[in-house]
Amino acid sequence: MSEKLQQIINKQHKALSGDDTKIDEVIQLVGFIVGDEEFSVPILSIQEIIKPISWTRVPQTPAYILGVFNLRGSVIPLIDLRSRFGLETMKHTEETRFIVMKNGDDVAGFVIDRLTEAIRLPKRDVGPAPDTISEEESMIDGVGKQADRIITILKVGKLLERNF
Amino acid sequence: MDEFQEILQDFLVESFELIEQLDQDLVELESRPDDLDLLNRIFRVAHTIKGASSFLNFDVLTHLTHHMENLLNMARHGDLVIDADVMDVILESIDLMKALLVRIRDKGEDSGLEISGCVMRLDAVANGTALGETVPPPAAAHAAPVSEPAPAVAAAAAEEEPDYSGMSDAEVEAEIERLLAKRQAEDAAKRAAHAAPAAAAPVVEEEEPDYSGMSEAEVEAEIERLIAVRQAEDAAKRAQKKEEQPAPKAEAAPAPVPVTPAAAAPQAKAEVKPAPVARRAEAKEDGEARGGSTVEQTIRVDVKRLDHLMNLIGELVLGKNRLIKINDDVEERYEGEAFLEELNQVVSIVSLVTTDLQIAVMKTRMLPIGKVFNKFPRMIRDLSRELNKKIELEITGEETELDKSIVEEIGDPLVHIIRNSCDHGIETPEVRLAAGKEETGTIHLKAYHEGNHIVIQIVDDGKGLDADMLKSKSIEKGVITEKEADGMSEKEAFGLIFRPGFSTASQVTSVSGRGVGMDVVKTNIEKLNGMIDIDSEVGQGTSMKLKIPLTLAIIQALLVGVQEEYYAIPLASVLETVRISKDEIYTVESRSVMRLRDEVLSLVHIGDIFEVERVFDNSEHAYVVVLGLAESKIGLIVDSLVGQEEIVIKSLGEYLKGIEGIAGATIRGDGGVTLIVDVAALMQMAKSVKSTVGQESSEAKGRGGVKNSASDYCVMIVDDSKTDRTIMRKSLEPMGITLVEATDGVEALNVLKQGDHIFDAMLIDIEMPRMDGYTLAAEIKKYNKYKNLPLIAVTSRTGKADRMRGVESGMIEYITKPYSPEYLMNVVKRNIKFNEGL
Repeated sequence: MSEKLQQIINKQHKALSGDDTKIDEVIQLVGFIVGDEEFSVPILSIQEIIKPISWTRVPQTPAYILGVFNLRGSVIPLIDLRSRFGLETMKHTEETRFIVMKNGDDVAGFVIDRLTEAIRLPKRDVGPAPDTISEEESMIDGVGKQADRIITILKVGKLLERNF
Repeated sequence: MDEFQEILQDFLVESFELIEQLDQDLVELESRPDDLDLLNRIFRVAHTIKGASSFLNFDVLTHLTHHMENLLNMARHGDLVIDADVMDVILESIDLMKALLVRIRDKGEDSGLEISGCVMRLDAVANGTALGETVPPPAAAHAAPVSEPAPAVAAAAAEEEPDYSGMSDAEVEAEIERLLAKRQAEDAAKRAAHAAPAAAAPVVEEEEPDYSGMSEAEVEAEIERLIAVRQAEDAAKRAQKKEEQPAPKAEAAPAPVPVTPAAAAPQAKAEVKPAPVARRAEAKEDGEARGGSTVEQTIRVDVKRLDHLMNLIGELVLGKNRLIKINDDVEERYEGEAFLEELNQVVSIVSLVTTDLQIAVMKTRMLPIGKVFNKFPRMIRDLSRELNKKIELEITGEETELDKSIVEEIGDPLVHIIRNSCDHGIETPEVRLAAGKEETGTIHLKAYHEGNHIVIQIVDDGKGLDADMLKSKSIEKGVITEKEADGMSEKEAFGLIFRPGFSTASQVTSVSGRGVGMDVVKTNIEKLNGMIDIDSEVGQGTSMKLKIPLTLAIIQALLVGVQEEYYAIPLASVLETVRISKDEIYTVESRSVMRLRDEVLSLVHIGDIFEVERVFDNSEHAYVVVLGLAESKIGLIVDSLVGQEEIVIKSLGEYLKGIEGIAGATIRGDGGVTLIVDVAALMQMAKSVKSTVGQESSEAKGRGGVKNSASDYCVMIVDDSKTDRTIMRKSLEPMGITLVEATDGVEALNVLKQGDHIFDAMLIDIEMPRMDGYTLAAEIKKYNKYKNLPLIAVTSRTGKADRMRGVESGMIEYITKPYSPEYLMNVVKRNIKFNEGL
């Protein structure tokens, strides 16, 4: 009996530690659609995802900055990813969401067309961004490959960087 | 190490506090050189700092303060007369001391500053006077013998004490005389002992290290001896006190007294040293006594904690605003219900307590403005010596309190203004006498509260500002053009001194006149949302009034609307609001202006500043918010005034910081975000958007009825039937006006919103697919700017109910089909105020 128990414990232990090493190699992303493409950001850079709420326009800003909104007492900028990526703007739908991302002290909300899913991707399946885009300017961190699709992983730091 | 840091921090805080008071005391001292209290206070500062710095191993500082102490001590005992020259040396040493303290604060060490020059001067002053009056030698000679008999006498006195009760009045008199004499002798001894190290500083320094060479037993003995001396002196003092109130209680004293002085006497002989030691103890006692009276009721709190508390209060205020808003909504919906009363009570209590709490926390952040004022007497003194003028500074209201953050910001502007008054305002004594004024000029620095503001007034009785001179100087320097100068009022001309690049001093002095300074004043005051008001009369003097809000975090704001947006304007910058008719807007050199009483006020539309998409605005009236900041004024045209609200300033965050014209954001009662206008930036921006303002106003005029041709009139026809649209078009075409067609309500609304045309009227059919005429009218009337757009119903519905609905939805005319072309034309003409002459 106790031998069996010991075996089970060992097994569990192995599974657990095995899992641990796996987690290290896997990156967790949240996928979303903007325009026709699927993008993703690391799950840990997301503070929260909310349904659209009203915002206030801020003058003297580029068009992709919709304005600011109130997130439980904090005033947070709202950026439309469609126009940020040079796509045509679209009316908000039932599926539109604000993803609030943070990088250090920088926080901003991003309007996306719809969420897809949380993605676990082994690190080896992530390739570098296409060479055609210069490393410095690119908002793309890398490209994740899954069986039937390609997911662009965005640099949150770059998204939250003011460029005007 | 941590403990050391803590001690160091305390030392620095204490030292800076002491020094702050010091400057003022010193200047006062110069006018009252024999005020012993003042001297004592100054002496103690040097002494305290010396003591603490030697403990903390700041040798340079110790060395400096030691020499200061010597000098001050001589003055304290009347061995040195404080005159202006001595004062210069003292002030110099104090500046050096400050520099050293700053260095310690910043770098943690006091090396690197040259103090030997100052020390030499200190010694020279001390010795020069001392030798000149030959005080030290006799004093030193006295020292030994006098300090010997003193305790002895005390002992004798103590022995005799029990007799007092039996003495006659005369005897008591005599006794008092004797004791006084004894006291004087003691004092003389002490003074001599003080003077000795002053005159012979090296000797003391040589003596001190001796301790290190002593054996432990010797040190023990020395300590014991010093304690004994101390006790003896205490006893003597106690006896003295008893003597001063010759009550029978005196009997209590005798027992211990005879013993200690007896033991002390021979030892006191041995060295002259004990006196300074005792003195140090004395000073410490003084320090404690002083500390005891003020410290007991206060605690030091980290400013960060107060800031945090203030932030929390800010959140609470937002919550309160929200609660009030919800309460209003609930009140409306459940009017007359019993629970409303209770809710009302709770809301008002919460709101009351929040306000009180906010005031309470604000008060904890308040500091008396004296903190800033304190440095000015010294400054004036230095300046008047430098400029060879006679200037007196009067300060009132230094106890007036304001927020710490503002106290920190207000110092620099005041320095500049006062320097300016000294340099440019107050004349030289000769000029003043010639002008029939008193030789000494006065600068009056005044602070007082006025509502939610603190007013700081700087008044000088100097030569005043000459508006014409200011103008010609400005033109000369290219600050303004001649044309601008002509249109300037006197007040505006005074404001020129705040322009960058302006300086009235024909000669640049080290004090001012470098052309910076005053524009810094303006920037700083604007940063605080403050206002500057200058009043001046040539020959009589100048008065400058700074009006600054008491606190920065939570402010009163005026909420204004433009199209569908709202903005908050700090109420501190709002002078007044006026409702004007569009006819009152004039265009001067492509700038919109209006007449406000006897002033000409330049106008700017808030929509131009903040790029608000402006759809046609037909209203005849405009609201003008008159903004005043520092010394400039501007009229801001807005669509509506919402009201006054208490708002909490929140930052827009790193991503959006530094947006021109926006000072921050606040969260309103309804949870929405409202942007706060940065009035200073807005005024700056108003200068560059003048062209659009011009257009805007000519547009406004156009709307007002001055159409250049018939085609400037524009009417929209909304009907789903092609035939009906054609009939209307045919009827109106003879007028030559522009006609735009829409097939239903939705399309009409879109055309309207696109803003390609500015419509003077709309002809609307009632029955239409997608959106009918009533709904369309109601939708249009929701927009502020279409409030006065004439909507004319053209329909076959003739029932009274239909007409009623038409009126309710905002139609002003009701034309029933069929109609004659002339009738339609007349109705349209009437409604668009068609000018037949075109």
